[in-house]
Formats: sequence, C-alpha cells, structure tokens
Amino acid sequence: MAIRENRTLLIFFYVFIGVFAAICLIPFILAVSGSLSSEAKIAANGYSFLPQGLTLDTYKFMFGSKSDEIVRGYLNSVSITVLGTVSAVLVTSAYAYVITAKGFRFRGAFAFFAYFTMLFSGGTLPWYILTTKYYHLNDTLAGLFVPYLLNVFLMYLQANYFKSIPHEVVESAQIDGAGHYLIFFRIMLPLGRVGLVTISLFYALQFWNDFFLPLMLVTDEKLFTIQYMMYYMMANIQFLASGNASRISGALIAPPLETAKLAMTCLTVLPIAILYPFLQRYFVRGIVVGSVKG
Amino acid sequence: MTEKAYPAPKARERSKWLRSLRNDSSLFLLALPGVIALILFAYLPMSGLILVFKNYNFNGGIFGSPWAGFDNFDFFFSSMDSAIRATRNTVMLNVLYMLTGTFFSVALAIALNELRSKGYIKITQSVMFFPYFISWIVIGAILFSLLDFEKGIVNRMLEGIGLQPVDWYAHPWLFVVVLVLANIWKSAGHGAIIYYAVLQGVDTSYYEAARIDGASRWQLITKITLPMLIPSIILLTLLGIGGMLKGDLSMIMGVTFLNPLLLPTTDIIDVFVYRTAIRSGEFGFASAITLYQSVFGLVLVLVANKLAGWYDRDSKLF
Repeated sequence: MAIRENRTLLIFFYVFIGVFAAICLIPFILAVSGSLSSEAKIAANGYSFLPQGLTLDTYKFMFGSKSDEIVRGYLNSVSITVLGTVSAVLVTSAYAYVITAKGFRFRGAFAFFAYFTMLFSGGTLPWYILTTKYYHLNDTLAGLFVPYLLNVFLMYLQANYFKSIPHEVVESAQIDGAGHYLIFFRIMLPLGRVGLVTISLFYALQFWNDFFLPLMLVTDEKLFTIQYMMYYMMANIQFLASGNASRISGALIAPPLETAKLAMTCLTVLPIAILYPFLQRYFVRGIVVGSVKG
Repeated sequence: MTEKAYPAPKARERSKWLRSLRNDSSLFLLALPGVIALILFAYLPMSGLILVFKNYNFNGGIFGSPWAGFDNFDFFFSSMDSAIRATRNTVMLNVLYMLTGTFFSVALAIALNELRSKGYIKITQSVMFFPYFISWIVIGAILFSLLDFEKGIVNRMLEGIGLQPVDWYAHPWLFVVVLVLANIWKSAGHGAIIYYAVLQGVDTSYYEAARIDGASRWQLITKITLPMLIPSIILLTLLGIGGMLKGDLSMIMGVTFLNPLLLPTTDIIDVFVYRTAIRSGEFGFASAITLYQSVFGLVLVLVANKLAGWYDRDSKLF
C-alpha cells in the first residue's frame, strides 16, 4: 500500500519535471520552425510547431538584401561582448584582489565603497544625463560596455574565489620580494581562474543580451547591436500590426517579416546555445557560490 | 636618555605609515579603474539626484541649471495618480514574480530531489536553466508568435477547442498573467538550481532514519525536505523585499514594446521615467519620482537586511 502511494508520487514528479522542461524548450522549437517556414504559409495558417513548407528563403533573404545590417549588428554585439568582457574582468578582478589583500588597512573601505552602490542608486535619470551630456558616451562603441565595467555582485563573487586561495602562497611570494602587481597577475589570476571563467561568462552573457545601454545611448544605426535591432524590428512590426497600417500595406510588405523575426531570434540565441553545454557548469557553480554561501 | 637613543614614537609611527602607504600604492592603482567606474556610474548619479531641486535645461545640465526649490515636488504631488500607478504596478508585479517564482523554484527543486535517474535530472535541469540565458527581447519576439491575435498559436488552439480568440495585447490585466508566466518560464529553472543545491547539502542520514521509522515519501518531503528549504526561502524572500521598487525596463519593453493599451498595468517606475524623461524630455516630474524610488529603495534594502539579520545572523549582507 505504502509503496504504491510512493510510486504514484514519484511518477508525478517525473511528469512535473518533464512537462516543465518541455515548456522551457517548446518556444525555441517554435522559433526554429517558424524561421524555416515560408512567409506565405505563416500568413495564411499562422505559426506552428512544425515548419510549414520547409525553406531557407528567410535566411537567404536576410543574408542577401539585409546582410550588411545583420552582419554589422552581429559584429557590434561580438565586439562589445569581447571588449566588454575582457576589460570588465580585469577591472573586477583587480578590485576583488584589493579587497581581499591581507593586511591592507583600507580594504574594508574599498569593499564598502563598492557595496554601498548596491544599497543606494541615483536611478536611471541622473545616470542618463551624466552619461550622455557629461561623459559623451552616447553613440559611441565605448558607451555600450564602459558603464558595466564593475558589477559589484560579480566582484564579490571573484573575491570569494580569491579568498579560497591559501594565503601561504601569497606570503611566500611576498618573502621572495614580489609586489602586488606580480602577485596579482602571476599568482592570483592563474590560481583564481575558475572564478575568472565564471565571472567572464556572466559578463559575456550580460553584454551579449544587453538592451539597456543601446536603448539609452544609441541612435546611430551603425552601432545597433543584434538585440537592439531585434527590438527595433519588433516594435515596428507591432506598430504595423496595431494600426491601420497593416490593412493598407499588409499586402505590400515584400520582406518576410514574420519569419525574419524568428530567424533573428534563432541567430541571437545560436551563440548561447552553442556555448551552453560548456557554460552551464560554471554558471551553476557561480550561482551556488554566490547565493548560498555569498 | 632613551628619548635620544630611539626616534620619538610619533615620528616612527609616521615613517611606518609612509612606508605602508608606498607599499599600498600599488593596491590603490589596482583598485583605481574600479573606483573610477563606481564614481562615474554610481556615485555621481547619486549626487545627480539634486536634479530634483533644479529646473533642468539641456545647456545648464545637472549642475548648471537654475534652482527650482520644491517646484518639482509640487508637480509630483499634483499628478500623484501616475506616480501611484507606477508604484502600484512595480510593487504588484514584483510581489507576483516573487510569490510565483519562489513557489515554482521550490516545487521544481523538491521534485528534482526525489528523482533517481541521474541522466533525467541532468537533461531536464539543463533544459529548465536555458531560458535564464535568453534576453527579454528574444523572449518578447517568441511570445508575440504565441500570442498574436490572428497567427498566434495560443489563439489557434483556443479556436481549435471552440473558444473565442483573445486579443492578448489589448487587455492590461490579462497581460499581467502573461508577464507572470513569462517570468516563471525564464527564471524558475534558475531558482530551482539554488534550492536544489541547498538540498544536495542535506545530510542523508535524516532520510534514512525517517525511512526506518516507516515514513512515506510524502512525509519525507513535508517533514524533512521542505523544512530544510524554509531558511533559504525566507532569506531570499526577505532580501527580495529590498528590490521591490526596482523594475525591469528591458523586460517590459521587450515583451510589451511599450504598447499603450497595456500601460495601465505595465507602466512601472522605470518605464515611466523612460517614457516621460528620456523619450519626451520632461525631466522635472521624472526626477521627483527617481528620487522617491532611490530613497524608498534604500529604506527597503535596509529593512530587508535588518529582517534577514534578525532571522539569521550569518546571512546578513553587511
């Protein structure tokens, strides 16, 4: 009797987890099949989970007439992700080293200086005015990563990794006359590489997915990132769909908008999906270190 | 006599201080880029809050614009309705996200903890975690294909079972449900990983002892697993209180495209500031609500931290 009750519950758990996982996956299947469908079929029958009239037309269209824009958007996103991640990891790990340096009298002060910004923020508006009017970061490539160079949460995460390095290693280097630069670059960075990989991934994901900075700072189409291009496209489709515009121009819209949107989705998710099996392990570890034992 | 043999304690202290300062100078330099970033993008914006007492104009900027006294607050109180609406929406959405997100994260973690097939756990966990990596912009685009009035899959399913199609993007209160579900979809797998990690650390002898005493699976869950999670649930919830006034501008923009029909429930504080100040250039009112968000945000963080500290001394953030 007891065993049967247990088994029902166990089956329920298997189903619950399976269904939730399926729901997490289905939207991506929808996007992939939509991008491989023909525009006419989608216009006639609506979206579906299986490709309708399997075709690569949308991708051909995007890499034909729109290729300049899409390639540029991709390149912008890649450059921002690479430049941003490399510089942010350097800035962050150097700061993390300082607040974990044993015997440094101001390390508490530096830690609090960073920590306070998690408590209190001036909000978007003063940030926006300063960044555009005083630092002139609007419509510059630097503007799309410099504001994110120090994420305090990730800095603390890296500090946790540095703390786990045995102090004797640092001490013996100090006895040999090594200064802080040498210790940081030659000892701490190599020994703290698990942490570095973890925060690099968090930063890379943040830069790749970022929408806030282009929204606030970019009007120049040459600087559109892939995320911002998608938003721009969606907002325009929404505008066309909501007004009378769709009735009038619906038949005239030559570009395959519906499928193009989903193709863009796939192109934006693709790099994450490719790297995901590798990323996941580090993310799980980072989350656990950051939240349970923070 | 001794005073001549050794340098005065004060002088000795000073030279020690100087020497350590020289030693420390490399540390100061290492911290410098981070310090500059914090000053530029966190501390100066805080001082930029004086904006609220200014009559902002573009040429004067934050610091050069003429003082306006409390005019902006008058404006703020005179159009209290929009401030109240923005605050209500922010808090309402955050509370709903927190309640539903916690519920699903915990439920998933408990379920994962019961499963025995390692391969199944690994695969489902990977799949559930994946949406966390996807931007709201992408999610919004996919959601549109699901919810579109004519071509969306959801409406076609509704029609399939003989129901009327719903214009999802025209019903602000219905869309709250969409936002809550989208939030569960994106973040419950991530939350489950945290709680599952807590459960991995639970001593298995508790379960063995309970099993010997004849406890059923359900009893193991309610009497051991859930109580083990309660401290983390309470703690993360308390800390979450600190973020109650913070809204996710990217989420609302990515999912609603600032559709005016949905603004009655999606106009959170951050969206409001973006719409009025950054897009329409009305800085006075937005600056008042920014100040209010910052100050009450600080109060909430301090309260949340105090509560967390009472609950569990070790888990206090500072």
